[in-house]
Amino acid sequence: MKNPAKPILLVEDDQIDAMTVRRALKELHVTNPLVHVENGEEALAYLRDATNSVPCLILLDLNMPVMNGIEFLQADKIDPILKRIPVVVLTTSEEQRDKVASFDLGVAGYMCKPVDYRQFVETIRTIDAYWTVSEQPE
Amino acid sequence: MTNPLEDKSFRWLFDAADAMLIADSGGSIRLANPAAERLFGHTQAEFEAINIEDLIPQRFRAKHAHDRADYKGYPRGRVMGAGLELCGLRRDGSEFAADVSLSPIGEGITLATVHDVSARRHAERTVIDQAALLELTHDAILVRDMDDRISYWNRGAEERYGWMRQEALGEVAHALLHTEFPLPLEELRTDLLRDGRWEGEVIHTRHDGTKVQMASRWALVRATDGTPKAVLEINSDVTARRRAEKRQVQLIEALKSANEELQNFAYVVSHDLKAPLRAIGSLSDWLVSDYADKLDDQGREYLGLLKSRVIRMDALIDGILQHSRVGRVHEALVPVDVNALVREIIDLLAPPPHIRVIVETALPTLKAERTRIQQVFQNLISNAIKYLDKPEGSIRIGCIDDGAMWRFSIADNGPGIEARHFERIFQLFQTLAPKDRVESSGVGLALVKKIVELYGGQVWLESEVGQGSTFFFTLPKQ
Repeated sequence: MKNPAKPILLVEDDQIDAMTVRRALKELHVTNPLVHVENGEEALAYLRDATNSVPCLILLDLNMPVMNGIEFLQADKIDPILKRIPVVVLTTSEEQRDKVASFDLGVAGYMCKPVDYRQFVETIRTIDAYWTVSEQPE
Repeated sequence: MTNPLEDKSFRWLFDAADAMLIADSGGSIRLANPAAERLFGHTQAEFEAINIEDLIPQRFRAKHAHDRADYKGYPRGRVMGAGLELCGLRRDGSEFAADVSLSPIGEGITLATVHDVSARRHAERTVIDQAALLELTHDAILVRDMDDRISYWNRGAEERYGWMRQEALGEVAHALLHTEFPLPLEELRTDLLRDGRWEGEVIHTRHDGTKVQMASRWALVRATDGTPKAVLEINSDVTARRRAEKRQVQLIEALKSANEELQNFAYVVSHDLKAPLRAIGSLSDWLVSDYADKLDDQGREYLGLLKSRVIRMDALIDGILQHSRVGRVHEALVPVDVNALVREIIDLLAPPPHIRVIVETALPTLKAERTRIQQVFQNLISNAIKYLDKPEGSIRIGCIDDGAMWRFSIADNGPGIEARHFERIFQLFQTLAPKDRVESSGVGLALVKKIVELYGGQVWLESEVGQGSTFFFTLPKQ
């Protein structure tokens, strides 16, 4: 990540998927703090709380209870400040309609979670590499 | 006494078109004109030799002679069509319907004008026969006058509606039947008067209060001067048909929603299965890396097997997802150049050097969903490559014009398939080799079949064990 001080917000309801992301980041020596929330509603609450530091990246699962990823994006992307935070979808869904809905709502990337852990690490490595090079607004 | 026959004024008789006979009170024929000769087939001499009763069939003769004797007492004129309808007998023995008018011309002499009315009688007979046919039909037929009063009511109407003819005649049709029209009655009348006919569906209420749906056809009957005289109305009961149609629509809807549910089920279940599967995969991976020093060879082997089954199950779930996506997710129909597509697929599959893939004929361009056509070719070609067991492998791809369809073929010189497996291999998750030996999800051919059939084509194969297999499939040109 370009700015290792800013947190990464992980929106994920599955504990082991969250552990996987955490483990992969650790393995890749990504030092940004990982904030983990379990659904879209909690993510919005975190983002709207001014006492929290603004994340440099949101990793978003789509299929979640209470508020799913698409519903989160619908709220996030009409917020003039929040919409600038890049969102990378990290999901099981390879459905065309989920991809279309996500990109229509301005996501910065769409990754399918590989079932193999080593491949999962490679996916996270790619995300980290890209957002280490990419500029983003302050 | 003057013989009226010698009167010059009777000469006109000879020129008359109608058959005319002059007979005396004794029934002797005194004169017959040429038209009478033609009608009865007798010559003038023969007429003069016979009696008037000889011109009618035997069975009427006695009565006729009696009537003639009676007539003699009150000789009076009788006009044509007033209906002394008789039967004439020709010289050759044939009979004809005759209409006779009589005019006394004095001295017991009578002029009889004979009309052959066979044609008219036949027409009348036909009308009666046709009216009888109307009684046979199951349709309810009624005629109503311009005030809607019923003047005809067939047996079909009696059966359909439950009112007997004598009950229905004179009633106002729409009031009797509580007719529910699809449009205001005035509009229907306007259409009827303008077009001379109307048809549509109406609802009638029967005598027992139940309602019937009728396909109703009206035809306007006009008098000779063109003024509307009556309406012929033919009603067919379509209640059962409409009910069946409605039921069919409901069934199709139910089927559709069940199918949709099933497809969504496959989709949702597949997704929900993936998360725990991924967890098992990750955890087994971490066990191997984090507890390497605590595991012996067997422990590592078990975890390795666990991992490989996770990967297989992942492939199965992907197969279900792919299969459920066909027909559920629709792509745009685009022109797909199958030549280019097949070349791309061959490049992608990168067959080993001992296998030659040959495209034998030019392949057409289809208007279809690109992904689906790709899946069909990719699965068939990759199967051919995967199972090829010969040192010199050959896969030949071709297409022929089969009328409304294109018929594609993919032939290999692989191991071949026994005929008893021809059905099984197209079923989901059916494979012929143990999964440990050839990694196969059993989805490929099921997917091919689903796609081809969705497009209105067919898929089948010919095969000889040891020699190879040829898979055929058809796709419509349009």
